[in-house]
Amino acid sequence: MTSIGTGYDLSASTYSPDGRIFQVEYANKAVENSGTAIGLKVKDGVVLAVEKLVHSKLLVPGVNRRIHTVDKHIGLASAGLLADSRHLANRSRDEAVNYRETMHSPPQLKSVAERVGLYLQAYTLYSSVRPFGVSTILGGVDKNGPQLFVLEPSGTYHGYHGAAVGKGRQLAKTELEKLQLADLTMREAVMQAARIIYLVHEDAKEKEFELEMSWIGEETGNKHVPVPEDLLKEAETQAKAALEDFE
Amino acid sequence: MDHFPTNWGRPRNDAFDAYGTYPIAQHPRNAVDVFADGVQRTQQPIVTGTSVLAIKYKDGIMMAADNLASYGSLARFKDVQRLHPVGDYTVIGAGGDMSDFQYIQQMLEELVTEEFASQDGHTLGPVEIHEYMSHVMYARRSKINPLWNSLVIGGFKNGKSFLSYVDLLGTTYTASTIATGYGSMIAQPLLRKAVEGNETTLTEEEALKIIESSMRVLFYRDARSINKFQVATITEKGATISESRHLETSWSFAEGIRGYGSQTQ
Amino acid sequence: MPAMLSTQPHGLPHPHMQTEQGPQQRQFNPYTENGGTILAIAGKDFSVIAGDTRQSEGYSIQTRYAPKVFRLTDRAVLAVNGFAADGNMFVKKVRQRLEWYRHAHAKDMPLRAIARLIQTMLYARRFFPYYVYNILGGIEEDGSGAVYSFDPVGSYEREACRAAGAAQSLVQPFLDNQIYFKNQTPAPGTSHPTHLPLPTVLKLVIDSFTGATERHIEVGDGLEIYVVLAKGASTQALEGIRGIQETTVTNDGERVFIIQRELKKD
Repeated sequence: MTSIGTGYDLSASTYSPDGRIFQVEYANKAVENSGTAIGLKVKDGVVLAVEKLVHSKLLVPGVNRRIHTVDKHIGLASAGLLADSRHLANRSRDEAVNYRETMHSPPQLKSVAERVGLYLQAYTLYSSVRPFGVSTILGGVDKNGPQLFVLEPSGTYHGYHGAAVGKGRQLAKTELEKLQLADLTMREAVMQAARIIYLVHEDAKEKEFELEMSWIGEETGNKHVPVPEDLLKEAETQAKAALEDFE
Repeated sequence: MDHFPTNWGRPRNDAFDAYGTYPIAQHPRNAVDVFADGVQRTQQPIVTGTSVLAIKYKDGIMMAADNLASYGSLARFKDVQRLHPVGDYTVIGAGGDMSDFQYIQQMLEELVTEEFASQDGHTLGPVEIHEYMSHVMYARRSKINPLWNSLVIGGFKNGKSFLSYVDLLGTTYTASTIATGYGSMIAQPLLRKAVEGNETTLTEEEALKIIESSMRVLFYRDARSINKFQVATITEKGATISESRHLETSWSFAEGIRGYGSQTQ
Repeated sequence: MPAMLSTQPHGLPHPHMQTEQGPQQRQFNPYTENGGTILAIAGKDFSVIAGDTRQSEGYSIQTRYAPKVFRLTDRAVLAVNGFAADGNMFVKKVRQRLEWYRHAHAKDMPLRAIARLIQTMLYARRFFPYYVYNILGGIEEDGSGAVYSFDPVGSYEREACRAAGAAQSLVQPFLDNQIYFKNQTPAPGTSHPTHLPLPTVLKLVIDSFTGATERHIEVGDGLEIYVVLAKGASTQALEGIRGIQETTVTNDGERVFIIQRELKKD
């Protein structure tokens, strides 16, 4: 960030001379400070996983969830400012409900992604607001099968087979690329997701974290629900074992 | 239900003959509404469904409604589902205006979705759905803009079965047998005879027999019904709504009824 | 509104366009009658409030158990009769107001205040009334048993006894005779008692309802009798009564009991 202090970074409504909007880039910095979130689109569904850094031992386990439910069949995992992501989840729910009301059918993911993308983008236009400090993974199953989208602070969104946002996204992406995502089952994806989250956490070993996972697919009746306790435990055990082998 | 057809659709006149002592033929008509010509009907049911039946039995609730939506006396839509699941524990059955019912279905779908998305560990059971619907129906009647339905709400949650009724006036009640519309006159006595006192012992097979025979009687007697209906069961295992079933009926006896078939004398 | 469209060729709302719609007339009748009967009798240091549990519409029994009598506080019980949907909503709103009162004052609202509250709430709907007859029974702050009766728009008075609902015309004359001793002449040198004892009152209540059940088609199925006792009142009369249950919540001193009985179901 060579141009710091040149005065073009004070407002989202001002470009720098080389055509950048620094406030948006700073928003991405906020995302990078956050624990990793990943999404896997596989044969029969979608799995979302989050490395939730626990900043205090006094916190009750399971609080400050970073995976939200948008609609019955849509989940949202985010990296960045938690308060921003909660607001975005609420907005996503409103968009999903609005789609249901007008179209009389469950919303397609791409429509929700597009609408939320437009919403994010509006926060890159004005000097009076700041862009959202979150990158969001939208995952779900609609009439076209499993879907996975990533929305960034700029408002751009893309569809993916596997997605990673947050601090450990680079390592997570290389791990995801090694997988044959389209051939995995959701159960296999749960194991892989847990392994990847544990792997990327190695860099911040001193910090405690909770693994948060949800899935949507045939096995859950196409409903976005948390991965059941016993399966989560099993995935964590396997992830830890894999880590030891790795070292 | 007022059994004097001349009084149907008119307010009861309690100032005169409060105890209904007049024989049918002599029953006085209530005073003619002198403003009748100036009245614009802004609300009346258009495409309507007829009775809904429901009973409690050993494992939960059984509910039935036929697949007909009538346009006046025209059998307009013959493949309409009048039983609708709400969440995992509840089925709601409706008589009356079918477009209002579709509106209710949509409203409940949004409610359940919103509740699911909050992921707070709470789920709406039949008791909550009943309370919600009673408030909606009462609020709409209080705006003199009712949702023109009789609703039966049946469910099973946390080991308890629940059966209740809500209508366009916001009137509510719970009972072990419920029949709406025409069924409240024809089927309700049959249901009560078979069910009252046996709620905890009736098996699913027995319950189905009761429901089926009542639906048959209704088909014979209710001109706004058809012999094609669905049955919902709501038990510990959840809610299921059957495929449409057809009733075998026989009308040969009608030949022998004077004034019905072709008679020589 | 075609007329309005023709004056607005551009389809834009005129700044002075009236937003009111024309008068709306509908033939929907927002009321019905759900039968049943309620009554209440006040004693010296107790009050008895009762109602049958049948709910009907026309000639159909909707349910054999729909309570019409509700415990509001440990010293107030409200019976509602008429249009059931209005009745249930009214009780809900009264209870809400009593809860707010509790939160504001850390005590239950006194009976006479509840009575005035009910009149205010009913009159607030003077031009779209709650179609319900209310009878409020309980214990006053001075410890006396009391009954307040209301009409649908809030007129009310304190009385010693009152019957309302479908069989009012059957029950009230009976109570007039048995409680006010109307048309009875006391034996020379004696006088009628001013307050009847609880056992006598309970008998009268039960007889009123069995009688009304016989003669009125909208009365029957079940009977719920609430008994509110003043602070320190004897419970002797209630001992050994079949189907009695205490529903007192506070330990302010007043006690509430409910007696449930069957009535004929035909």
